[in-house]
Amino acid sequence: MGAAATNDDEEFEFGVDTTSTKKARTSSSQGAPSTSTTNAGNKSSPADASVVFSPELLAMYYSRLFPYHMLYSWLSYDPATAKPGNNAKAGSSLGSACTFPRREFSMTIEPQPGNEVYIRYQSFLSQDELMEAIQKRRPVKIDIGAVFNYPPKDNKSLPSGKLQTQERELVFDIDLTDYDDVRNCGCSGAKICGKCWKFMGMAIKVMDEGLRKDFGFKNLAWFYSGRRGVHCWVCDESARKLSNDARSAVASYFEVDLGSEKNKNFHITSPVHPTLSRAYRVLEPEFVKDVLPEEGHGIMSSRKMWTKLLTTLPESCMSVADKLDKKWQKENSTPREKWVELKKGIMTLIGKTGHAKAQKNLSNSERVKIEHWPMETVFRYTYPRLDINVSKMQNHLLKSPFCVHPKTGRVCVPIEVDSADCFDPFAVPTLAQLMTELDDYEAENGKDESIEDWQKTSLKGPFENFQKKFLKPLLDEERRILRERREMSIASW
Amino acid sequence: MKTRNLSPENYRTELGKCIKKHLSSKDGDRLDVASHFILRAAYCRTEDLRRWFLTQECHLFKYRLESASSNNGNALKEFLARNDFALDRVSRAEKEGMRGKLLSVTGGPNPVEFLSTDYYRVPFVQALELVARRECYVEDGFAFVPLTRIVSIVVAKFRVSLSKSMALAVGAFGQVAHEESTRIGPLLKSMNSQYTGPSTPDAMVGLDGERVLTAATVDGLAAQSMPLCMQQLHTGLKRDHKLKHQGRLQFGLFLKGSGMSLEEHTLFFQREFTRIMTSEQFNKQYSYSIRHMHGKEGKRASYTPYNCMKIIMGNPPQSGVEHHGCPYKHYDDQNLSALLGKLKIGDSADRDAIMRLKKEGNFQLACAKQFEVQHPLASTVAGVNMDGVGNHPNAWFNASVSYHQAKSGGDSGMDAVKKEEAVM
Repeated sequence: MGAAATNDDEEFEFGVDTTSTKKARTSSSQGAPSTSTTNAGNKSSPADASVVFSPELLAMYYSRLFPYHMLYSWLSYDPATAKPGNNAKAGSSLGSACTFPRREFSMTIEPQPGNEVYIRYQSFLSQDELMEAIQKRRPVKIDIGAVFNYPPKDNKSLPSGKLQTQERELVFDIDLTDYDDVRNCGCSGAKICGKCWKFMGMAIKVMDEGLRKDFGFKNLAWFYSGRRGVHCWVCDESARKLSNDARSAVASYFEVDLGSEKNKNFHITSPVHPTLSRAYRVLEPEFVKDVLPEEGHGIMSSRKMWTKLLTTLPESCMSVADKLDKKWQKENSTPREKWVELKKGIMTLIGKTGHAKAQKNLSNSERVKIEHWPMETVFRYTYPRLDINVSKMQNHLLKSPFCVHPKTGRVCVPIEVDSADCFDPFAVPTLAQLMTELDDYEAENGKDESIEDWQKTSLKGPFENFQKKFLKPLLDEERRILRERREMSIASW
Repeated sequence: MKTRNLSPENYRTELGKCIKKHLSSKDGDRLDVASHFILRAAYCRTEDLRRWFLTQECHLFKYRLESASSNNGNALKEFLARNDFALDRVSRAEKEGMRGKLLSVTGGPNPVEFLSTDYYRVPFVQALELVARRECYVEDGFAFVPLTRIVSIVVAKFRVSLSKSMALAVGAFGQVAHEESTRIGPLLKSMNSQYTGPSTPDAMVGLDGERVLTAATVDGLAAQSMPLCMQQLHTGLKRDHKLKHQGRLQFGLFLKGSGMSLEEHTLFFQREFTRIMTSEQFNKQYSYSIRHMHGKEGKRASYTPYNCMKIIMGNPPQSGVEHHGCPYKHYDDQNLSALLGKLKIGDSADRDAIMRLKKEGNFQLACAKQFEVQHPLASTVAGVNMDGVGNHPNAWFNASVSYHQAKSGGDSGMDAVKKEEAVM
């Protein structure tokens, strides 16, 4: 892979997306678009009724449902595009300031089944050009890269090293694959279920709050990645302009070393940083609700499971553990009650419960261990596990929202943060479903040209939410910034 | 200096000594400023050079800032004020309001110091180091940093502005170098490859005043006192009875720098090369270049022996055919590890330590470590100058020879060599 780890602004190499594990791609070399082929493919035949994805369905999706205008309007950061219909004028209101024509797109196409070709350095002057290319090529996957100093499609005619990244949204990628060691639901790898998906909801909450409160970012968009994870796009101007160093720093700020499969002893340093304390306040209730009980990951639902948890306690808590183990065997308390009891039990040892006296013979470090144990336990299960390499570089490609995942046939729909914990990946429409919905709508209402085709399907909810909660505030802010700059330049005359 | 793997504290004292030594004359400040700008010009040309220069200058800057602030906290404040750093001080009331959060950060002041500590509000992008390690409180895009840690922020700012001006400088360099092509242009261009340690180490001279390194002693000394790169060249020469161009240059200049005379040099190479060719062939093809190396032919320049940087940055040797280069840089882990074992360098723990440094990319540190292993307590032996070990093969050789001379009780170092030879 061509992903390069360099922290210097002036140097750049092109990172190839690492979100995909199923394809072995040859790396693309700097300065030349590369194509490579693999033999991974869809074996299913289009005639199969249960088929969720096929080239025909995809062609249909791209011609009728793909929200070109939304994507264009967003990526051009141009308030003039706020109304549909203003789409053909490529950045006319901004002239060269418009970044859309200098944005890299890359496409994975499948000219023959089982033969994937990866094309980098595509760029488009306008929404129409983008639409034309997508409809012609029918990519199974579209990636979005950085905004460069020149249109990246010209890269062959530019001297090598001339093409440099200028800006790019700050992006985060969280995959359930990275949670394998705590997924007691039986899932691993790309397989997911409602139980382990809860981890994604929790990760979204923590990251969203952290990015907003700590870093002051306002325009955040979350998307389902189509299979087993979520993506976050931070679109504030200040975020888009961040250097690679700054991206790395932000990513490390959120990264907590949770220890590895072998070495489960990770420890939070004392004092606990405010951002971690806040994450704990968010995560603990979720942990109690969705991880502890049988219908979650069951880590306190049976004696076998709770003994496993109790052995992770610091040594000085073993007397408490024994007592509780015996007690729990006799009574029929809920996991929540057990958790509360356990926390209270060990906190008594260090005198944090108010009435009880602290044990005098505890060393300071042992005290800290006990105090941090609940937080460490909660974090081990629920703290966001970022693929930070995706976030570190301006030119790292990330799958475009609104794409369709070829393996699941599901659309990469926007996720609304406020209801992220209710988001159900299995309710996301597949291509086949969308086609049925379209047919049903038209059977009932006839062909209606006044609204977009996606508004006739279950994409309506998430897409309109995206427009209302993300796109509109974003463009409003861009408009405000533009006006301020104009006033500034007039004032400075 | 980094190559000597010093602890941060030692590093500080050593740096302090260095500054005193070189910049404490009454012109010190002027020289300091001049040298800074000359180096800027010389090191702006490539990405690698810029990065190296930035790192060094930031170390120096940080050292000075820290000295300024440790002597007297006010000096730092004054500096900040003078340089118009727009640092926004957090008001007392606001600070008290955030007390819990500000104190929940590792590395900050303790609750007692908190009262007297000033906090500053800076955009988080100016405190990336602290942000990355969660060593400051961050809110709404601002990092809250105590005065004591402002140093790292100021260094970051310094780095950015220096980096920018270097980028500007490179734009102008082409023209300046062209206009000055006969005067300072070449000087600037070659500055980064000059060896400036204790200059090119002087040739080793035995106690009896005789030059140590001759065609007769070279084999023994190679095993005893040559750094790994030169040993490999020597072994290659003995095995193949020839060396490729790059190898002849690297080894030949090293021998010259170690005090081997032109005559001895020719004699030694002739002895080896004529095993596979006639004397005429050797004279025709090779003796010219040896004389050239010693400044007796062509433009009669006296070429300086390669330092480690040059060897490491040079072309890697073609495996099996060429023997030049730095084994620590150019050999893969397996080969190097096997080689260290074969040469019986230290015990396995020592070899592991050397390999670790190699794997981290600290080739020069690895080489210096090898020296340490083979010359126990060398730094305590009088007369052994270890300054350039790990920076220049000749310094390595000289330090090793003087170490063995001292160890053999002040006898002529030759005894040691003779003993070695007897063993061999």
